[in-house]
Amino acid sequence: MRLEAPRVLGLREAGVYYALALLVLALAIVCAALGRPSYLSAVNLINILYQASPVALMGVAMTVVLITGNFDLSVASVAALAAAVQIGAVDTVGFWPALLLALAAAGAVGLLNGIMVQLVGINAFIVTLGTLTAIRGLVLIVTGGRSLMVQTPEALAAMTNFESGRAGPFPYPILYMAAFTLLVWGVLQLTTIGRRTYAVGGNAEAARLCGISVNAYRIGAFVLSGLTAGFAGVLYASRFGAMNPTALQGEELTVIAAAILGGTSLFGGAGSVLKTVAGALVLYTLTNGFNILNLGANYQGLIEGTVLIGAAAIYTVGGRRATLFSARPRDFHALRAGPTGVAGGEPRPSSGAQARREEPL
Amino acid sequence: MSDRPVPLLDLERLEKSYPNGTVALRGVDLTVRAATVHGLLGANGAGKSTLIRILSGAARASGGNILWQGESVCWSRPAQARAAGIATLHQQIPLVGTLSVLENVLLAQRGRWRRGASLQGRLRRLMTSIGYELDPDAQVATLPIGERQMVGILQALAAEASLIIMDEPTASLAAAERRIVHRTIRRLAEEEGRAVLLVSHFLDEVLALTGEVTVLRDGVAVLSSPTAAVDEGQLAAAIIGRPPRDPRARALPSATAGPMVAEIAGIASPGRLAPCSFGVRAGEVLGIAGFLGSGRSELLHAIFGADRAACGEVRLHGRPVGRSPAAAVAAGIALVPEDRRSQALVPEFPLVKNLTLAHLGQFARWGIFVRSESETAAAEEAVVRLGIRTRDVATPVSELSGGNAQKVSIARWLCGTTHLLLLDEPTAGIDVGAKAQILDLIRGLAAAGLGVVLVSSELTELIAAADRILIMREGAIVAERLAAQTNEEELVLLASGAAGTRPATAVELQ
Repeated sequence: MRLEAPRVLGLREAGVYYALALLVLALAIVCAALGRPSYLSAVNLINILYQASPVALMGVAMTVVLITGNFDLSVASVAALAAAVQIGAVDTVGFWPALLLALAAAGAVGLLNGIMVQLVGINAFIVTLGTLTAIRGLVLIVTGGRSLMVQTPEALAAMTNFESGRAGPFPYPILYMAAFTLLVWGVLQLTTIGRRTYAVGGNAEAARLCGISVNAYRIGAFVLSGLTAGFAGVLYASRFGAMNPTALQGEELTVIAAAILGGTSLFGGAGSVLKTVAGALVLYTLTNGFNILNLGANYQGLIEGTVLIGAAAIYTVGGRRATLFSARPRDFHALRAGPTGVAGGEPRPSSGAQARREEPL
Repeated sequence: MSDRPVPLLDLERLEKSYPNGTVALRGVDLTVRAATVHGLLGANGAGKSTLIRILSGAARASGGNILWQGESVCWSRPAQARAAGIATLHQQIPLVGTLSVLENVLLAQRGRWRRGASLQGRLRRLMTSIGYELDPDAQVATLPIGERQMVGILQALAAEASLIIMDEPTASLAAAERRIVHRTIRRLAEEEGRAVLLVSHFLDEVLALTGEVTVLRDGVAVLSSPTAAVDEGQLAAAIIGRPPRDPRARALPSATAGPMVAEIAGIASPGRLAPCSFGVRAGEVLGIAGFLGSGRSELLHAIFGADRAACGEVRLHGRPVGRSPAAAVAAGIALVPEDRRSQALVPEFPLVKNLTLAHLGQFARWGIFVRSESETAAAEEAVVRLGIRTRDVATPVSELSGGNAQKVSIARWLCGTTHLLLLDEPTAGIDVGAKAQILDLIRGLAAAGLGVVLVSSELTELIAAADRILIMREGAIVAERLAAQTNEEELVLLASGAAGTRPATAVELQ
């Protein structure tokens, strides 16, 4: 029997949860020591969740793109495009049709990304860097470089209701985020679609030779990313009833940082959406803590960057240690007892470990 | 036999254990003399690769002595071993795919500048001396696997070491390249006075080339002798720890009279494959012989629909199959590709997930929700049925040995409905014991009613396992023989074009 529990609770497997817990604990203690209002109050915690939800939403979809072995830099621009479409159309066509138009525009950009990467064969980094720039340019053209605002009060009311309404203590965006995360988590963990998504990123050629349509899965991930970014853009537009053409600029890096903090591999085949959400919460807990402690925004970038690299270092070094020093004393004794002389003839390693030395696949 | 008092390399009770408790070497004694080819044999897991890692400076011994030219040494970095005069040709050659042949071969050379002209000349001389030509400016990533192996060999030669360690240098080579490697090894020892430590799974190769031979089993040298004093049977017995079975002794009788499973009609691929047409019957193993680059793999990929440029028709039980891997899998065609690491297995996945990947729908409710109990049950059954050695079905496939990993990539197709099984070099790089098991398995599957197409570079194996053999050359099928009525010599002659007429090649047909 393997000892499953320690591995699941190990630094590499659950590190981001520890980091989040430690961070919250540290901030709570500091706040208490300085005599500030309780950090762990429901209002503050819900506030963190609320602030993190657009990035967490996009992070979940980003994780899917990363699992399939691709990369999407365009999410923030796509979100801004969707926000512009939403605000531009809501006065004339109403809230829900405008939402559909915004999602369609965002999904179309995702499809374009996917087609350029998978069918034309351009590197995902280059394609989405291109759409990042071009779509932001498109937003500037559409808005004429000015801020957009919702004109009719009915439209504004519908948007406010969509974004600022509450179910119990929870603002809607938290619920959207939770529902989407659970849905994607369920699909990835429990369904054939999820299994194949991981396989496509883990070894695309093997997946292809197993009859899996690699292109469909990867393009699908880009479309999901586009749609989710569009939804986050609509949330942003609805929050203020207005948008600035440079809204959300640079946010794509926060989204990717959340996924990396959650331990998603940039090489594909590995990642968990729950951990990405935890990664987003770590980032927003930091921001929130800076505000509460009046540390000033100047330090924020430095600390966040350090946290990101520190997390990546733990994952990398932790992963290396796990393969080299996964001490299992039982195996040692079994080997000491000598080979067990099985009928097969081939020397029998008492675990996969010995054979691994000889011929790694 | 050299009678020099000090051997080039002497290992005394060399031990290696890993921090996780795995003991790979338990006291190996090994003596390599100058100007000798020394064979090192052993099953997967016997400790050969660990020994090589220690000798090349990539790992440190945990006990015992290494005497290099009579002096005790302890290398902690590969550069130290290289400086001392040991060049290692690893099984998976670490080449830089984006650099040219020339740059790869001379990668480890001293000097700060890339001196194009003089290096060109050196590479040319090197290639002339072994009688193998490669374009020095070709990018390595674009070369087929056999030519990449030759680049690795040139790299080891360029290092001008006094001991060259070769780990399975011919495992992925076709007969022509293999002969060149053999000639090179002989020349190194006989004419240049260097020592070669040759690790190989091919007993005939070891018998033909080496002066002395050592067999490892369970981390100990169980046999050490001049090669002239042993025969193939003794070596095989020492490797596997029991007398071997005659590879020609067929486990199961062949059946060629079954109904037609698959008809391949005019399958072709521009520039690679001339139109091929043949049929495969239920219960039949159809062998495909041919040298590297003769279009064997291309044919399998075209049948499977994995080659997008391919055209032609495949009919399974009379019904045409769509031209995509998905359609082929759905219809019951299976492909076990040549390179299991890069083409067959998902390294992050545990055994069970690799096993069910192709027919995942069968292990899911409504084809969507994966039922892990039924998956695990199927995987455990496959582990028992195929004799896969693993801790449990949750073990990552990257931890399995080559033979066991190969069994997983075959077993994958047995948990669904498969009518036609295409196998591309299923026994490459696998030890004798696992090889026999896989061949038995293939015969067993045919006996159970599958049609099997088997590509193999090992002609003995092909003749033993197949009922009928198609011979390919330059992208076309040039001959057909019944396995019972042919022999290795004839197959080599047909594949090399020495017998019969030259075929119309794929290129000419464009």
